[in-house]
Amino acid sequence: MLATVATKTFRDRWKGAVIGSVTLGLLLIFGMAVYRDIDLSVYTSLPEALRAMMNIPADADVGSIAYGAIYGSYGALTLAALAISSGAASIAGEERKGTIGLLLGNPKSRTHVLVSKAISVVLLAAIGALIMLAAGLAAPSMLSVDITGIHVGALMFHMFVNAVFYGFLALAIGGWTGSGATASGVTGGVMVLSFIGVGLLPVVSGLEDISKVLPWHYFNQSQPTINGVDWGHIGVLFAGIVVLFAAGLVGVNRRDLKSATVGVALIDRLRENRITQTVAERLAGSARVSHIWVKTASEHQGLVLITALTMFLIMGVLLGPMYSMIDELMLSAMDQFPETVLALFGGGDMSTPEGWYQLETFGMMAPIAVMVVTIAIGARALAGEEAHGTMGLLLANPISRSNVVLQKTFAMVLHGSIVGFSIFAGVALGSVLGGLGMNIGNIAATSALVTLLGLMFGALALALSAGAGRVKVAVFVPIGAALVSHVATSFLPLSENLAGYAKWSPFHYYLSSDPLNNGMPWGHAAVLSALALALVALAVVLFDRRDLRQTG
Amino acid sequence: MALESAIHAEGLTKHYGDVRALVDLDLDVYPGEVFGFLGPNGAGKTTMIRTILDEIRPTAGTASILGLDSHESSVEIRDHIGYVPGDLTMYPNLTGKDTLTYFANLRGGVDWDHVDTLAERLGSDLTKKIGDLSSGNRQKIGLIQAFMNRPELLIMDEPSSGLDPLVQREFQTMMREVVADGGTVFLSSHTLSEVQRVADRVGIIRKGKLIVVETVADLRSKAVRRVELRFDTEVDSSVFETFPGVRDVVVNNHHVVMSFDGQMESLLELATSRYTLEDITTQEADLEEIFLTYYRDVDGS
Repeated sequence: MLATVATKTFRDRWKGAVIGSVTLGLLLIFGMAVYRDIDLSVYTSLPEALRAMMNIPADADVGSIAYGAIYGSYGALTLAALAISSGAASIAGEERKGTIGLLLGNPKSRTHVLVSKAISVVLLAAIGALIMLAAGLAAPSMLSVDITGIHVGALMFHMFVNAVFYGFLALAIGGWTGSGATASGVTGGVMVLSFIGVGLLPVVSGLEDISKVLPWHYFNQSQPTINGVDWGHIGVLFAGIVVLFAAGLVGVNRRDLKSATVGVALIDRLRENRITQTVAERLAGSARVSHIWVKTASEHQGLVLITALTMFLIMGVLLGPMYSMIDELMLSAMDQFPETVLALFGGGDMSTPEGWYQLETFGMMAPIAVMVVTIAIGARALAGEEAHGTMGLLLANPISRSNVVLQKTFAMVLHGSIVGFSIFAGVALGSVLGGLGMNIGNIAATSALVTLLGLMFGALALALSAGAGRVKVAVFVPIGAALVSHVATSFLPLSENLAGYAKWSPFHYYLSSDPLNNGMPWGHAAVLSALALALVALAVVLFDRRDLRQTG
Repeated sequence: MALESAIHAEGLTKHYGDVRALVDLDLDVYPGEVFGFLGPNGAGKTTMIRTILDEIRPTAGTASILGLDSHESSVEIRDHIGYVPGDLTMYPNLTGKDTLTYFANLRGGVDWDHVDTLAERLGSDLTKKIGDLSSGNRQKIGLIQAFMNRPELLIMDEPSSGLDPLVQREFQTMMREVVADGGTVFLSSHTLSEVQRVADRVGIIRKGKLIVVETVADLRSKAVRRVELRFDTEVDSSVFETFPGVRDVVVNNHHVVMSFDGQMESLLELATSRYTLEDITTQEADLEEIFLTYYRDVDGS
């Protein structure tokens, strides 16, 4: 039984783990090839805290920088995300699908089921880590790069334990709440915030120690690539894993299982309360189902609200005053950066507030935030209804398929724009509060660009959703494309020979013109808009032509 | 202009790779009738319905609904029909009322008094969330959704699944009412008894092929039944074996079991003329047996 459940769960998900880790492995090889071409001496002159933030060891060489930049951030985040998705789906996922009753109809306890689900989380993380380890060992010999003194195995071990930690956090939350969305949402939030925190906090003197409460600290702050496995840090993570597993066991065993998840949102409680009934009814009832786009938008309101608020408060408002607290020493060190190296971190030159915001907010987090929303909506828009079996019923009404696609697109544009606007509002307010005097128009232009970029990848998800009718394809392909595009835009300009290829990457049309300083690059905005429109048109055509899938 | 066919299919064919889900299907459903579309699971009933509703596209052939091309005019068609998909799923987070409001809005409004009447007749609670309803109660919402716009044509794929007998009877009355008002009902099912109770004509589909279209009366006269007789003495199987319409006779002491597709009266006459009949059980033959009968007929002719 243990083995059966674990094997089935593993079989359902191994493909994602393999594709993810193979992609990362290829990116590592690519990154190492680019780094081999450039002069790395500049890294050695960086202040310690900054190097720590960027995951670069003191005696930087090609190998350690490549492992740090590719595996230390992208790789660790991907592996942890894989573990989270399988952890969150474990118990809560079976409840949502309504299969948990059937599973527990067999003579095995809930504890048994949870243990086997936990085993499959560990297995998935291990497979991913092993594939990346293989690529990590193959890359230097392929490229004749010397990696003496670099502990690839130790890095992978830290990544593995780190991923299992987040997977078990999702498992525990799913076990207590029975809601996969809550489990993956909260855990994903904890992961991203602690990743950001570990990057940010050491930059400001006095706040370094706070980062020790963040789980991500125990993944890479001991620099396993250079120093080997830090058993103290691994011990902390391992203790966390044990506690989370125990918590999951208690959670799963104490509550009523759900037959099929029906989320009780705040609005539902308000509808049941006699005082708020009338208002809530208007909001939740008649208004919510007035049009397809309103209904689609309402289904994603929680995700949008959380993403927009996080971007507004943390990545926007908070960073303004924080900039004035950064060490002078570090700022002056930033002056010594050659532009090619800065390009790697989103092109941010920290000696200016524009560079600071570019490095911290716009470089990576802003595109991720918009894309989380646009890809989620784009992917679920059509394929989601097909998978749930509601598309047939929806299309039994006198509305055309293209009408459905366009209304879903409108919901995506609306939510993407809300996140884009929250980024603009947060950064603008942060600039005012910190007295940074940034150009408001340029902040608006950059926010508009990141919104367009996100919408373009969302439109890609929509087109895949329309063409293939499968949510997984429509989620993972755009994420993969975005990852490759981001890495290509960061790395290609570093190499003189390859810089010309950067314009094939959508990210190139986002920050390459330095819009925070130079304002709106209308040509670039037009390229992104045209791509997005073309993909939406493609979605309309593909969806109109295709046989709808039957439930399942 | 009076319509000739509410549903007209001509050479309708659908292949999924090597699988022939529909084979050269010709069919006419006339206005003002309840048409029962009968077939075992996997026979192609759902494929047929999904094809004429433009959810999937035929490999060959054409179909029209209410005189309109099923692909070119699919949006206009859907203005005039009600549909209950097989394996009905709806949005779990919406209440029944929300769900109906959503579809009503997509249709540009609906008569809510009519909806309330329907809900009352089926005993449906519209205030609960779909996800909290049992499958039968969910099915009721699906039925209301199909009936609420007073459609000219109802297309329903195994609509009575999960309904209790009382509700099923009410549902059958509702179907007859639609027909009485000049509407048409296309009802797919895998149970003969249900179709017999409500349909005027029946089409039987098997392995993607439409085997036969008959009136219910004709079908009933042909329908094979399993008959089990118990007598007070041992009986001789040859008495029954030679009787027309009787097949597969098995005798076990006082018991005789057989398949029979003739006049019940004549069989009873035969039985009581020879022996004293103590008990009789008859069972509707299952679909597969009826199909076999038809195959025998087809092969014979």
